[in-house]
Amino acid sequence: MKVLSKAKLESALNKLSDKNEVFVPMQKGERSGYFTWKSFDNGQDELMLDALNVYQSPKNVVLPQTEKMYSIKSQGVEVNIDKTYEDAHPTIIFGARGCDVKGIIAMDDVFLTRGYEDSFYKARRSGNVIIANACYEPGANCFCNAMEVNSLDPVGSDVILRDAGDGYVWEVRTEKGEAVTALIADLLEEKEAKLPEVKPFTQKVDYSGVAEKLKDMFAHPIWDKLSQPCVNCGMCTYVCPSCYCFDIQVKMWGDEGYRFRAWDSCMFEEYSREAGGGNPRGASKERFRQRFLHKLEFFKERYGTPLCTGCGRCIIVCPTDINIVRIIDAVKEAEINA
Amino acid sequence: MPDQDNKCTCNEQPLVPTIVEVIDIIDRTPDVKSFFVKNTDGNGVPFQVAPGQCGMVSHLPIGEAMISCTWQEEQEYLEFAIKRVGLLTDELHQIEVGQKIGVRGPYGNGFPVDACKGKDMVFIAGGIGLAPLRSFIKYCFKYREDYGKITIIYGSRSKADLCFKEELFDLWPKEPNTEVFVTIDNAEAEWDGNVGFVPTYLEELSPSSNGAIAVVCGPPIMIKFVLKSLEKMGYNDDQVITTLEMRMKCGIGKCGRCNIGSEFICLDGPVYYLKQLRDLPPEW
Amino acid sequence: MKEITNKIQTIASNLFADNKIDVFLAWEKGDLDFKTKSFVARNAEDVKNIVFDEYSINNIANSLLKFRDSHERIGIAVKGCDSRGIVRLLEDLQIKRDRLYIVGIPCPGMKDPLTAARNRGGFSKQKEADGLAKKCLDCIQPNPVIYDELVGPEQSPRQQGDRFAKVKEIESMSADERYKFWEDTFSTCIRCYACRQVCVACDCRTCIFDEMKPQWVGRENSASDNMMYHLVKHAHMAGRCIECGECERVCPVNIPLMLLNRKLIKDVGTLFGGPDAGMQYVEGSKPPLSVYRENDPDSFL
Repeated sequence: MKVLSKAKLESALNKLSDKNEVFVPMQKGERSGYFTWKSFDNGQDELMLDALNVYQSPKNVVLPQTEKMYSIKSQGVEVNIDKTYEDAHPTIIFGARGCDVKGIIAMDDVFLTRGYEDSFYKARRSGNVIIANACYEPGANCFCNAMEVNSLDPVGSDVILRDAGDGYVWEVRTEKGEAVTALIADLLEEKEAKLPEVKPFTQKVDYSGVAEKLKDMFAHPIWDKLSQPCVNCGMCTYVCPSCYCFDIQVKMWGDEGYRFRAWDSCMFEEYSREAGGGNPRGASKERFRQRFLHKLEFFKERYGTPLCTGCGRCIIVCPTDINIVRIIDAVKEAEINA
Repeated sequence: MPDQDNKCTCNEQPLVPTIVEVIDIIDRTPDVKSFFVKNTDGNGVPFQVAPGQCGMVSHLPIGEAMISCTWQEEQEYLEFAIKRVGLLTDELHQIEVGQKIGVRGPYGNGFPVDACKGKDMVFIAGGIGLAPLRSFIKYCFKYREDYGKITIIYGSRSKADLCFKEELFDLWPKEPNTEVFVTIDNAEAEWDGNVGFVPTYLEELSPSSNGAIAVVCGPPIMIKFVLKSLEKMGYNDDQVITTLEMRMKCGIGKCGRCNIGSEFICLDGPVYYLKQLRDLPPEW
Repeated sequence: MKEITNKIQTIASNLFADNKIDVFLAWEKGDLDFKTKSFVARNAEDVKNIVFDEYSINNIANSLLKFRDSHERIGIAVKGCDSRGIVRLLEDLQIKRDRLYIVGIPCPGMKDPLTAARNRGGFSKQKEADGLAKKCLDCIQPNPVIYDELVGPEQSPRQQGDRFAKVKEIESMSADERYKFWEDTFSTCIRCYACRQVCVACDCRTCIFDEMKPQWVGRENSASDNMMYHLVKHAHMAGRCIECGECERVCPVNIPLMLLNRKLIKDVGTLFGGPDAGMQYVEGSKPPLSVYRENDPDSFL
């Protein structure tokens, strides 16, 4: 096996950071998420490769919170788009858990298929390499196994790391992975390593049949009760590794400016508000239902896999204890009156 | 039209608009204007549009909106009929001929013009809803022998709010085997036509459902009542077509907001048979 | 606390039995001991789910906003900070007093379910302290300021020392230092708008940040837009913030929002005097910036 000893981890990250922007899971001051290795501050920050996960997902690397699209210059009747801002600079997500990798793979389905390839996402993704961190001990809120994620061998990873105590087993999966491995080839050793024990999931979730059942539950009274505590704060959508909805807006200073896109959330009232004032999802309950149907049913119907990746982040951050697992349970138990 | 799962068959940068020139603007009603656009070099149009398809029209410093293309005249122009309802449309109503704006498209699945060949066509529209239907109506007139009897039932708030008056009162009634019925909501001086809402008028006129296809567009509340009336009149779910609307931003099925169920109205729609709508959540 | 739960349940049951209310708003437990959520009991059957314990930290007054357009008679259980939220909504004419039957609970201080969730979630390496929530340690009014009935013994404020100590620290910085401090702080904001959604005082039907005609603040996650969002939001809170601390509690990147709120509370107090926002309900009273008087201070204009 190829092994990267933990003593050499820093050197490896430094070497990779030469030609790539390397994102690692980090506790950076008050924030917990994926930040660049170059910005790591030894005094303040802490590397979180050995923690279960971090609060903000790495989706920011391929779908940034804010992304410039194209420049606009308008003078009188003339208007020009001088440049578009596709950015294919090489990036590496180092140490993503299976749930986060699935989030990005799901977004590949959205942005790169169905007749149109989003040029901005495509550029970022083409330069992006995913080095996954195989997960041997699920957390209290984890349920990725129920959501079609293989936490030990995440589909879509270019390289898989396995934490074997004093080193990471380094498993290459794709050509992109080969290329990245070549950059640190001299830091890898060929030796045997003992893989950790695979611990079981403590949270049992049964998602089977839920998508099919939800097809008939749009008008079900269950949504009234489930949505009652929700304040539509939007935190769930922002920490979710697979929420991708975006808004497109314009920023102008006089005659010049640019169009950009930014994260949006189906939880916000104006998300579906039409110019004439109509809003098919004006009530809190309707937006709540939209989010869960999208995660658990619509996405599976359209792309063949659920959009929820079982990472458990929304369960931790929700201020009013909305829990997608309890919702799955409630749907399973619900009676449908024909 | 895009392939379902294959590589993009159109623009490599689907979110970036093409700059076009507004070559003409015609006032249709106090708050509806028709904008005619053409390529900036005067040669042709930025893309080919099938009846029922839409384009993302943008006044670049302001924003974009999905507008149905009410007609493509060969390579001469694309016509967009735009109602003034919000931020972008307000600004568009203030531009003048010669202004450069952005368009991208064509988006949407368009009307099933081939499947409707040989049928009697009943077009039912309210307010600005006539604009998308007009593309199908004009297509039928262009290929007149392919379609049976054509009935057009159209209503608006008032006489001033009737769109495309020249077509309604002058051109279309003259077409062979074609009847045009116009109604307004409330009686007013200098109007001796029908007074009443479209669904009521429709039931009074009762065009036969035998071998007919009804195509409906208008405010959501009107669509709902018209669908009920059509059901009463004996139209099956596969004889009724409508075109939906939702707030759209990307137009290419990525940003997530225009979905009804698992369908994106910008990409899989906006044209649907009633039969298909029955399978979708009632969020329209 | 069990006693208080029982008392609330009894009061609620009686109110339903006497047909004095249509709904009762309180808290219920989630599936784990530290999980709490707001709860709407719609009949006497539902009342048994009501639980008040050391994790009942949510501001129930926020739930009233879902009922502002309807006509139900509402029974509601509130702590000190929540009751100030009710005063906020009454002053803003969002709900009528005669619709409410308020059960006041002098609050002994709450623990933060989010802290417990984070400790248990396994995402961080350090365990956070498990005591009273940060916002409760700064509490100046644990006793309800408006109520029809009180349950539980009176509690003492927990705030120690100078309430505005941290504010004064920032005030003593130079303008450049202060600007850098806030610029660095707001650069971490991810514009999730959670602070706006949990805030009771944010009761506008269409929030200014959702307006498109004109668009006051862009959606961009840049230093300038982030700063505009926070400054505008907190300026809207001037004279209206009831110091419940929910905004800071739910922020996913731990922005010190209460620092900004307290600065405004201090300034409004200095300039306009009078009791803090929501401290007492007098019919017809309004927050200082909602009323124009000719001799209003205007040094800040």
